Amino acid sequence: MNTTTVSGTFTATLDSLGSIRKFISDSGRTLGLDSGKTYKLSLAVDEIATNIINHGYTESGIKNGRIDITVSSDDKVFSVTLEDTAVPFNPLESKIPDEAALSIPLEQRTIGGLGIMLARENVDEFRYHFSKGKNINTFCVNLK
Amino acid sequence: MSFSVKTETFDNVAKLTLTGELDSSTAPQLMEEINKVIPQRPSELVMDFEQLDFMASAGLRVIIFAKQKLGTAAKLFMVKPQEQVLETLRMTGLIYSVTIVEHYPE
Repeated sequence: MNTTTVSGTFTATLDSLGSIRKFISDSGRTLGLDSGKTYKLSLAVDEIATNIINHGYTESGIKNGRIDITVSSDDKVFSVTLEDTAVPFNPLESKIPDEAALSIPLEQRTIGGLGIMLARENVDEFRYHFSKGKNINTFCVNLK
Repeated sequence: MSFSVKTETFDNVAKLTLTGELDSSTAPQLMEEINKVIPQRPSELVMDFEQLDFMASAGLRVIIFAKQKLGTAAKLFMVKPQEQVLETLRMTGLIYSVTIVEHYPE
């Protein structure tokens, strides 16, 4: 089975979000991911990268942060891994809105949890672990 | 990456035409426009999404903010969202609070 891997490093600023999405979509296109799945994956990655930049680095006062991104694909799974050295944050521990909360009229809704929800629900599998001072977020999309 | 928003107001309508990619870095531009139209108390807020290629939760938060400021009496229309953006509106339940249209006025 052939595995292809592409890596990139991005400065942890909001200005990088467009480049990060482009990196994901270019890699997706090259490695055979369809446009619908590529959009969903880009959205999922964008949401977690935004959290890392805003909460993990900026609000924590950590300067010159970086996000390392590795894209890898074999015959079955397309995966993206984000590594950062910001404060530990596990998106799997965040409370995400349930069906009842999502059907509440906008006027009465509390604004929160939507980003993490979009990150987790737009890919087939989302994993998180913290290792050697790094947050490691992994997104997997089944190719078939 | 580019994002722009064009605002037109007429009668009791505020129409915002969004172009490009709406994420955390560009959502403040939309927020600025929303903050300009809120004091005019439009009864209909129209957002033309036809040229909007990407929307993250930062964009959803601005829309929720706008609806909360304008209140239940104000109607929110979205014109021609692209399929993936529409899917995000469905997934997050925003679809229940907005009217999706092909054209405005209908």
